[in-house]
Amino acid sequence: MAASVAGLLKPWTPSVFLVRWSRYNPYYLEPEVRREAYSRSEAELSAEEQEERKLKELRPIKAATCSATSSVFDDPVISKFIRMIMTEGNKVLAREIVTQTLENIKRKQVEKYHKSPPGKKEEIECNPYTIFHTALENCKPVVGLASIQKGGKFYQVPIPLTDNRRRFLAMKWMITECRENKHRRTHMYEKLSQELLAAFEKEGNVIKKKHELHKMAEANRAYAHYRWW
Amino acid sequence: MALHRLTLRLRPTVTHVRSVHTSRYGRQQEAAAVDPEPEPISVFRTQENDPACQSEKQIGQFYTLPSEHIRLLFPHGLPKRYQQQVKTFNEACVMVRQPALEVISYMKKADYSQPALRYLFYGVTGSGKTMSLCHAVHFCYTQGWVVLHIPDAHLWVKNCKELLPSSYNSSRFDQPLQATAWLRNFKITNERFLSKIKIKHRYVWTKRESTEGGRPLGELVDQGISRVKSSSDVVAAVMKELRQQSGHPEGNFRLAVAVDGVNALWGKSTIKKEDKSAVDPEELTLVYNLRKLLKNDWIGGAIITTLSQTGSLYTSKSAYLPQELLGERGFDSMDPFIPLSVPNYSEKEFESCYLYYTDRNWLQHSQSGTEEGKKELIFLSNRNPTMFDRLCSFL
Repeated sequence: MAASVAGLLKPWTPSVFLVRWSRYNPYYLEPEVRREAYSRSEAELSAEEQEERKLKELRPIKAATCSATSSVFDDPVISKFIRMIMTEGNKVLAREIVTQTLENIKRKQVEKYHKSPPGKKEEIECNPYTIFHTALENCKPVVGLASIQKGGKFYQVPIPLTDNRRRFLAMKWMITECRENKHRRTHMYEKLSQELLAAFEKEGNVIKKKHELHKMAEANRAYAHYRWW
Repeated sequence: MALHRLTLRLRPTVTHVRSVHTSRYGRQQEAAAVDPEPEPISVFRTQENDPACQSEKQIGQFYTLPSEHIRLLFPHGLPKRYQQQVKTFNEACVMVRQPALEVISYMKKADYSQPALRYLFYGVTGSGKTMSLCHAVHFCYTQGWVVLHIPDAHLWVKNCKELLPSSYNSSRFDQPLQATAWLRNFKITNERFLSKIKIKHRYVWTKRESTEGGRPLGELVDQGISRVKSSSDVVAAVMKELRQQSGHPEGNFRLAVAVDGVNALWGKSTIKKEDKSAVDPEELTLVYNLRKLLKNDWIGGAIITTLSQTGSLYTSKSAYLPQELLGERGFDSMDPFIPLSVPNYSEKEFESCYLYYTDRNWLQHSQSGTEEGKKELIFLSNRNPTMFDRLCSFL
């Protein structure tokens, strides 16, 4: 259906340009943000890639998002986390919070590193990005629960989760935990850094929540055959 | 500088070899090889921790401030982010830069029987003016001068919680809280001079309290700290005594006046009187007396100041030149002064700062060690010290 629509509208150029969040005509191609793709010369490309390049010269291309960068420091997981923290479209504030969190984690760890005796220095992890990723990994649940109706009653059935769903749940729990269950007068970056460092050590409320979910799934193992997909 | 490094490396080996120089050739070789390598000599650090001995060879290198000096000399003088950095890295390193070295060299050669010279650091936001001021103040402290350091003059013209009409002159206003806080820090910095300097005049505080001439300065300062109501007048008295006695043979001390954000004294203030009209900075006792101190009619010292746009009121963000920030009145009062431009990091200084952060385990991102990452940092920060620091803090 999309192909036929594309075929009908082939020679058309819009007089008014479409904005990113409304639905683009499938005729439009995705933008290429990575720097490496443009540094390659003609000879290095294979036949398909040369065809693609020719196509890009003729077809219109979607506008890239404001947050798309070709920076070497770009991290998609951190970007996703910033978007999840954002409320009312205030991305500047969300980014400030996350960068302050990373700075706070790094400060605490580097201070510990410089104060510890030489034997203990290798054990201390100072990189805030590895701490963030490891903490998030530790918070990701392995199985989730779905509410399935059978014979008039609803049963909590353990189901496998996709990677995206697991990552979403881990981030959501982290943010809700910091927003609701911490002391009112502490800054968000302070709360987040404490929770992330605890999750890195496999302690803290978010890890507890993950374990409770796993226990529920284990308890309801008997209903696993209610799942039909 | 290569020769300097070479001599450092040779120094321990030379002393060792001297004692065995009469032995056979083979033994000599062994001794030289067994001698443990001294601490790896870093390009960005210097062992010259005394500001008086630093020269152009050390430009771009970091020297360490002893922790005793920080506790005594800078109870309130260092920028907030720098204090956090000192706490994190467990050491306080300051980069030796050209403007600070220039001021120090002028102060070494100045004639202290002439009126005090005024130095003014200016530059774009975040280029390192306050740190240059702190470097110059450290030099004055190590030379045994009396240091009168006002960390931020903007704090005296905004957010005033208590404003009392002055007891000495009814048209002026007192700020007891700011004055007591400053006196406490002054006492910590200049502990050693408080008993040596004697005051000349008699000051009457109330019907029953007065301080006679000939009493040590420490008593005057204690009077100000304990009796909060008269603390602003005590500050004025302290300034007057120090100004009159510095440089003279019986005083036997030199006075260094360091003011950060000097453009606040001639700008506007956000403090309001009870009838909601704005207070001119001239009507505040602290500011009035500080302006008297900044006039070059006293001898035996130096006045080092900095402009600051960050805390200033009703000034445009892009303004950084002395004419723009001081205004007409300020410029006429400060004239003549020695202006010192504080630029962003040069390539060598940036390299040095980058290596220092890497050494202290501060640049943790996997990409920050690569050439691409470094180029990106230079581009994003434009070699501005504050921007570079803020970028590196989360990378």
